[in-house]
Amino acid sequence: MTTTVATAIGVDVEERTETSEQSSTAVLAAPDIPWNLVVWNDPVNLMSYVSFVFQSYFGYPEAKANKLMLEVHRKGRSIVAYGAKEQVEQHAVAMHSYGLWATVEKASSAGTGKGGARG
Amino acid sequence: MAKAFKYGLKGITGHLEPAERELLRGLIDDVVSMLEPSQAADQDPLAALVGLDMDVRQPTDRALLRLLPNVMKDDDAGSLEFRQLTERSLRESKIGALRAAAMGLDRKELTLTQDEAKLWSMALNDIRLVLAERLDIRDEADADHVHAMQDWSQAEDVESYLALVYNFTTWLQESLVQSMMAAMDRR
Repeated sequence: MTTTVATAIGVDVEERTETSEQSSTAVLAAPDIPWNLVVWNDPVNLMSYVSFVFQSYFGYPEAKANKLMLEVHRKGRSIVAYGAKEQVEQHAVAMHSYGLWATVEKASSAGTGKGGARG
Repeated sequence: MAKAFKYGLKGITGHLEPAERELLRGLIDDVVSMLEPSQAADQDPLAALVGLDMDVRQPTDRALLRLLPNVMKDDDAGSLEFRQLTERSLRESKIGALRAAAMGLDRKELTLTQDEAKLWSMALNDIRLVLAERLDIRDEADADHVHAMQDWSQAEDVESYLALVYNFTTWLQESLVQSMMAAMDRR
């Protein structure tokens, strides 16, 4: 078993391609919305996969998905969606089913995140 | 020798040798068995039917906790309450993705639809999360250290073997995600 797989490994390449940060308008600032969905950084999830999940599940354009992914990667967390509590909780379960580490929090307790800022 | 997944005329295709398929089947079985809910004998059948589990607790195993994380950072009681409502169905959806990947492994040709590819990527991700916990990958430096293990002749103990398996599944998932991105671009 080892030798067969060894050859495959030899092919190499896990490339965590970093897509250049593209500008995307400040969609995150919205007033009067009480709950945030936060995605946290971890050393396991591939950057490409995290971006794929943001595109595939939320329907975000690639530029926005990459921006949020890079924010998770560099700042340790990012607010990727907001809304009513039930709605963000549903998003959190979806993120968990993808294997992303996500939590919900009241927008007012956002702390380091910028999503809680009022527009 | 395994070939990276790619997106082409036939869709998303890959190639795995029998030994590699066997390896992945074993990993899938391991993660499925972690996720299968322990069925209490006195479980309320109606509660089970609607997905409630009032006996659920926060997992003590770190890997399982990573698969089924708390939904609130600083609210254990709130997280537990949420867990009672959602954990069972989350476990089932994860098991579903893992089983779908296992079924794909039984087919001769590894040609995946976009939906199948998504289930595969979820399954590979959960496998990697579990392996990473077993390998004690806590930060990027740990990940780099594990990633440096690329040569199967270095596999001399359980840890180095796990590291190589982890790198193999990482490589496979990365190529799969790139293929899914390519497929998405051409819709």
